[in-house]
Amino acid sequence: MPTLRELQGQLRAALIDGDERGAVAAVHGDGLGPSARLAVYRHHISTSLTSALESIYPVVARLVDPRFFRYAATRYIRERPPTSPCLFEYGGTFPEFLAGFEPTRHLAYLPDVARLEWAMTAALHAPDTVPIDPGALNSASRVGLHPSLTLVSSPWPIDTIWQANQPEAADQAVDLEAGGVRLQVWRAGDEVLFRRLAAEAFAFRDRLAGAGSLEEAVEAALAADPDADLPGLIRGLLDEELLIALGSG
Amino acid sequence: MGGGPALRALLDLRRDYPISVHGVGLSLGSADGLDPTHLERLVSLVERVEPALVSEHLSWSVSGGTYLNHLLPLPCTEETLTLVGDNVCRAQDRLGRRLLVENPSGYLRFRNSPIPEVEFLNLLASRTGCGLLCDVNNVYVTCRNLGGDPLAYLAAVDPRAVGEIHLAGHAVNDADGHEILIDDHGSRVAPAVWELYGHALRRLGRVPTLVEWDTELPALDVLIGEAATASAMLEGGAPGEADADAA
Repeated sequence: MPTLRELQGQLRAALIDGDERGAVAAVHGDGLGPSARLAVYRHHISTSLTSALESIYPVVARLVDPRFFRYAATRYIRERPPTSPCLFEYGGTFPEFLAGFEPTRHLAYLPDVARLEWAMTAALHAPDTVPIDPGALNSASRVGLHPSLTLVSSPWPIDTIWQANQPEAADQAVDLEAGGVRLQVWRAGDEVLFRRLAAEAFAFRDRLAGAGSLEEAVEAALAADPDADLPGLIRGLLDEELLIALGSG
Repeated sequence: MGGGPALRALLDLRRDYPISVHGVGLSLGSADGLDPTHLERLVSLVERVEPALVSEHLSWSVSGGTYLNHLLPLPCTEETLTLVGDNVCRAQDRLGRRLLVENPSGYLRFRNSPIPEVEFLNLLASRTGCGLLCDVNNVYVTCRNLGGDPLAYLAAVDPRAVGEIHLAGHAVNDADGHEILIDDHGSRVAPAVWELYGHALRRLGRVPTLVEWDTELPALDVLIGEAATASAMLEGGAPGEADADAA
């Protein structure tokens, strides 16, 4: 007789990996058969997680066709099932999965579009914080960026691809050779937004987002553009209410 | 805990309505024990929302670090009772309050599951001091799927332990010519479940009742109608008449 821990391992193998050997022996068929009864549970797990991924990645789903998306999602769920009971945390490695997924490898921009969509979901659920009072900037020992903010760069025009694939968008051709983008994704109030940044602003914010100090961020901005408007870079963050205090003193 | 519009909406609702926090991710039946991170998240939510009731399920969803996103069934054995009891005690200690544990909807029976589910829940309540959440739709779905008499199930529930009742709609599916009911929270409460609810109220008294409907959402007036039917029965209306209204 398996212990409870063994039984749960057997059910996990049956419901995620498709290996029913252990679980079938532990379950009554009751007229339907053990496999069909396990399938009721497997179906729910698969469809609920697939619909979670569909809600995070609607543009990716549209780009590859919704039926193909469900196939890719099923493969992803099997290879990388959730590790947290909070569903809003699930799916962050889907862009990386897509990058290595043979059937979509010819769509070089797809993983970056997925990264943009993930950043938008992360922004929606990020904790609420209070922006720094500009008057307190001098007394803050460390500053950081709003937790909803993610910086996404790509050699592809992923913002244009995203916009062209909204349900209400008119049919339009996207010029994939239009060049890359540097984007910031964030939440303002309840609204998730993204916009393009210039090279020096992206470098500046990227360093701060990566827990760098203000001095390191300034260095990064100057490396991107020796003529960078440094006061303007700080003012821009204050105006957008994206700067927060991490410590004072 | 995250933030944003979802949390804000919950806190807004909290100002005007009592809240029942109903967990689906604590995995009280995991042989691996409770996930301390998730327990702390639940604690911080409960501290913030101060709900009237906090509940979870007699089920498991985590094994070897994988979260299976379903309320999976447990064999009702002494081993399981000890383990779930330990997990319930730990959760109650950390929450500083009584947890209600819900009977899940069932789609399979284990070969080794000697204790009837309702008896298992009564024992869990008496050993840990937890309360029970009696999901009347789940009683119906489980009995229909796995054999069992819903009235006998309700008659066996320890009335002193029940602190909340759930109602919901279910789907009737066909699996190779075999009928199987799925607790999908996507339709009106079935007439047979309203009838069973009437029996539950007569046995358990006026227990706070929640109608679950979280897929295929209908127009608001349909939801309000379902809640009104439950309220009328709870306040002592004739179950037979409410049953006819709901059909």
